[in-house]
Amino acid sequence: MARELPYIAAIGEAVHQEMERDDTVLYFGQNLGLTDDDPYVKAFGGDRVRVTPISETAEIGMAVGAAFAGYRPVVQLYMSEFMLVAMDQVVNEAPRFHAMTAGQVKVPLVLQAGYGFTAGWAGQHTGTIYGMFMGIPGLKVVVPSTAADAKGLMTAAIRDDNPVILFHNYLLTLEHGDVPEGEHVVPIGEAVVRREGSDATIVGIGWTVGKALAAAEQLAGEGVGAEVIDARSLAPLDMATILQSVEKTGRLVVVDQATRHASAAAIIAAEVASEGFATLKAPVELVTALDATVPYSEPMEQYLLPDEAKIVAAVQQVLEAAPVAA
Amino acid sequence: MPDGTAARLDGDVGLELLRSMWRIRVFEERVGELTRADEVHGLVHLSVGQEAVAVGVCGQLRTEDAVYSGHRAHGHAIAKGAPLGRVLAELMGRDGGLCRGLGGSMHLVDVEHGFLGATGVVGGNVPLALGSALAGRLLGGDQVAVVFFGDGAVQGGVFVESVNLATLWALPVILVCENNGFAEFTPRSAHTNVERVSDVVAPYDIERETVDGNDVVAVRDAFARFLAEARQGSGPMLLECLTHRLRGHYEGDPQRYRQALAADEWQELDPILRLERRGVSDGWLEQDAPARLEQDARDEVEAAVLFARESPFPSPDMTAALVYAT
Amino acid sequence: MSENGLPKERLIWMFTQMVRIREFEERVKSTFEEHPGVIRGHTHLADGAEASIVGSLAALRPDDQLTTTYRCHGYPIALGSDTKALMAEIYGRETGICKGYGGSMHLTDVERGFLGTSGIVGQGIPHAAGVAWGAQIRGKGQVVLSFFGDGASKQGAFHETLNIASLWKLPVVFVMENNNYQAYTRVEQEDANAAVGEPLAVKAKAFSMPGVTVDGGDPVAVYETMHAAVERARSGEGPTLVESLVYRLSAHGNIIVPPGVPLHYPEHEAIAIFGNVEEFEAAKRGDPVPRFRAQLVTDGTLSAEEADAIAEAARAEMDEAVEFGLASPLPAPERATDYVYA
Repeated sequence: MARELPYIAAIGEAVHQEMERDDTVLYFGQNLGLTDDDPYVKAFGGDRVRVTPISETAEIGMAVGAAFAGYRPVVQLYMSEFMLVAMDQVVNEAPRFHAMTAGQVKVPLVLQAGYGFTAGWAGQHTGTIYGMFMGIPGLKVVVPSTAADAKGLMTAAIRDDNPVILFHNYLLTLEHGDVPEGEHVVPIGEAVVRREGSDATIVGIGWTVGKALAAAEQLAGEGVGAEVIDARSLAPLDMATILQSVEKTGRLVVVDQATRHASAAAIIAAEVASEGFATLKAPVELVTALDATVPYSEPMEQYLLPDEAKIVAAVQQVLEAAPVAA
Repeated sequence: MPDGTAARLDGDVGLELLRSMWRIRVFEERVGELTRADEVHGLVHLSVGQEAVAVGVCGQLRTEDAVYSGHRAHGHAIAKGAPLGRVLAELMGRDGGLCRGLGGSMHLVDVEHGFLGATGVVGGNVPLALGSALAGRLLGGDQVAVVFFGDGAVQGGVFVESVNLATLWALPVILVCENNGFAEFTPRSAHTNVERVSDVVAPYDIERETVDGNDVVAVRDAFARFLAEARQGSGPMLLECLTHRLRGHYEGDPQRYRQALAADEWQELDPILRLERRGVSDGWLEQDAPARLEQDARDEVEAAVLFARESPFPSPDMTAALVYAT
Repeated sequence: MSENGLPKERLIWMFTQMVRIREFEERVKSTFEEHPGVIRGHTHLADGAEASIVGSLAALRPDDQLTTTYRCHGYPIALGSDTKALMAEIYGRETGICKGYGGSMHLTDVERGFLGTSGIVGQGIPHAAGVAWGAQIRGKGQVVLSFFGDGASKQGAFHETLNIASLWKLPVVFVMENNNYQAYTRVEQEDANAAVGEPLAVKAKAFSMPGVTVDGGDPVAVYETMHAAVERARSGEGPTLVESLVYRLSAHGNIIVPPGVPLHYPEHEAIAIFGNVEEFEAAKRGDPVPRFRAQLVTDGTLSAEEADAIAEAARAEMDEAVEFGLASPLPAPERATDYVYA
């Protein structure tokens, strides 16, 4: 049974259901569980649900330690930028211990981090920084684009024995979608084809998936069949699905809200160039944010971001490009 | 609470303090209206009710004394000399704004007036003030650095790292904490079992004082003492100002986490009303003066609104030119 | 029974562990001279800190837990980890306690409650608080010890963690081994309290937490202080900051140099950088291991022959650990990607 839920509530439902299912799951962070009426506190008690001060290093570090001791912490960070003050714990502690101890400890924690708050939240609150966390061995990164996937990926993240960062786009917070009621797991490491097509492949991540679908709709009106893939998981990255699609279409556009060299798009493009070169009929096009700190003022802010028009133009570009020499 | 010190307050000084507080009060309430009318976008944090701290402190500083603030910075910027029109234009994302629309509410900077800026990540501004203080020392003058932050910031590691270093190097930094009892949506008691911010720095034995932050004369007098010492070359000091945040953490905050202050309770606490009552009873404020002061402030703020509305939006491609300093 | 109420067996146990740690660390150090190239990277020795380590661990129950810094050899030795596996780990062998993946800085023995180390100063402190949170939930009265140095007390993680641990009354004891040096920097050069001659335990004031300073060269004094702190934590009253004054008898760590230059232990920073020969000589005279031996022999707890026998057994044990390490194979290269994900 599915019913409509907003994206953010779907994430919460996953946390709640997992906390019910498994009493080693903990939930903490700033500004939550403040009163006895809080639904998490009421359901799971003040031991497993705690509010913390503004102390990200300690919060994430404690999550690591609690994980050593057999618990499964979920840290609500609200914004991915707040991980930056605690980069050591995220990048250099949590993902390292399983390897350094030859498997003696596991660090099954989840960091819930919002990103891309492009609504006038200005330079320090608006970044899309998931690229920084790709390629850190042992660290998993997921970016759901629908409410159902938000629940499914959060569930998978909690059940995963490794540290996982779940990035959720602020602009999707209230997007409603059909969300299965009971247990719902979306495997980490699997991309999904959202729309089939044969003329060009568009890979989207998080918020840009919706833009890609809108562009595909527009292109369909012009007789172009774009296949839209939702990457869903950035680490591990499902290149097989993407390569299979490019083998069919020969043309690839990757749309990412991050800036070019910090984007997952750049990594996807490099992988396709390396593993799927023979299938390409045109160079890969990247539609990313422009390289600037996101300005506060709306016209400038919007100017920097990928949008449908830019995606459509990129697809047209790869369709018209001179064929890649065999 | 008693109204400030027993010493006589010079009438001219009193009037100036009132003017400054009225300016901020009217400005902030106008920003609230403009936010609801969607002319100001994004995340806005108002300092209605906290004017006494900004005014009591900044009114005594020179241009070359560097002032830093956090996300609730409008009052500090204005008190340090930033023109109302340019602040409002910045909040409205216009080219005439202090940062030409690039920064917004949380990133107001006015180098010309020594307001080195507002920052968006809690506690991140404290070490910046150390840097300014160090530079001032190296330049050989007696300028000081002042940093405003809230009670939520002092649990962060960066705060104590800064206090240790400023004490060790005897840097002329005056730490001004606006303790309004809440860090975002959480009361202080959920952050720490140390009630007074001044106790957090107890191990460093720096000069510290706690004052009624709603009594502009008390703030002013305490800060004057600190300032004199700082200019003589003492090390860091902490002024904790107990105050109340009249509105939500941000504009739009439904504030379910606390009791609203009753109107009559606020009458007792309001820093402007308190100084006016004192002015009338001390004889330097005529009965009809408050209404005139308020009107003067309204006129000034409306002129700022006009200026801001007439300021054009910045050109989108400006951002590319500002990525790197040339 | 000694005058402070510790049974004789306990005192002998403490002495034995101190000797074993010293013998192990001496072997690690001499490996650089005798078998150059076997140990790679950075090692940090506990010689001089034995009394503090053993006195602290003596206060624990078998199901208590701890995290430490990268200066971590001493703790698992006293907890009973297999010293052959410890040495093999430092030698990078597949028989190492972490199969060669961690090395000197990351010894771990989960079964004995030694949950790990961080190589980054201060970052293990919040880990310990997380482990303590788990212990609090389980409600079995377990306590966690968080070991770190004086250098770590200037890290934000220290401040953030002690605040939360105090607020939540976590069953953790924060043990700061203050050896007056943070690598090559003297504590007064970087710490505002030390700069004015105050003990670092005063930092506890900021957290409404008791702070106490103890002579880390006296294992019984350390035990008594830690016992009180551990029992306080166990009873749910919350954490304590214990400042244990120690002096490390070796330099911060071995020299790390470009390939081709042999690694070795340089002179202690007191001499090498500050020219303070007298400070170092005084520390050697106050070496806690012979000091404790002399105390136990003098008060009749041990005869000289028994003390010698303990030392002899420790030497034999650690010789065997070295032989085992040298004889063990290195891991197969392709094992490198084995433990990426759990």
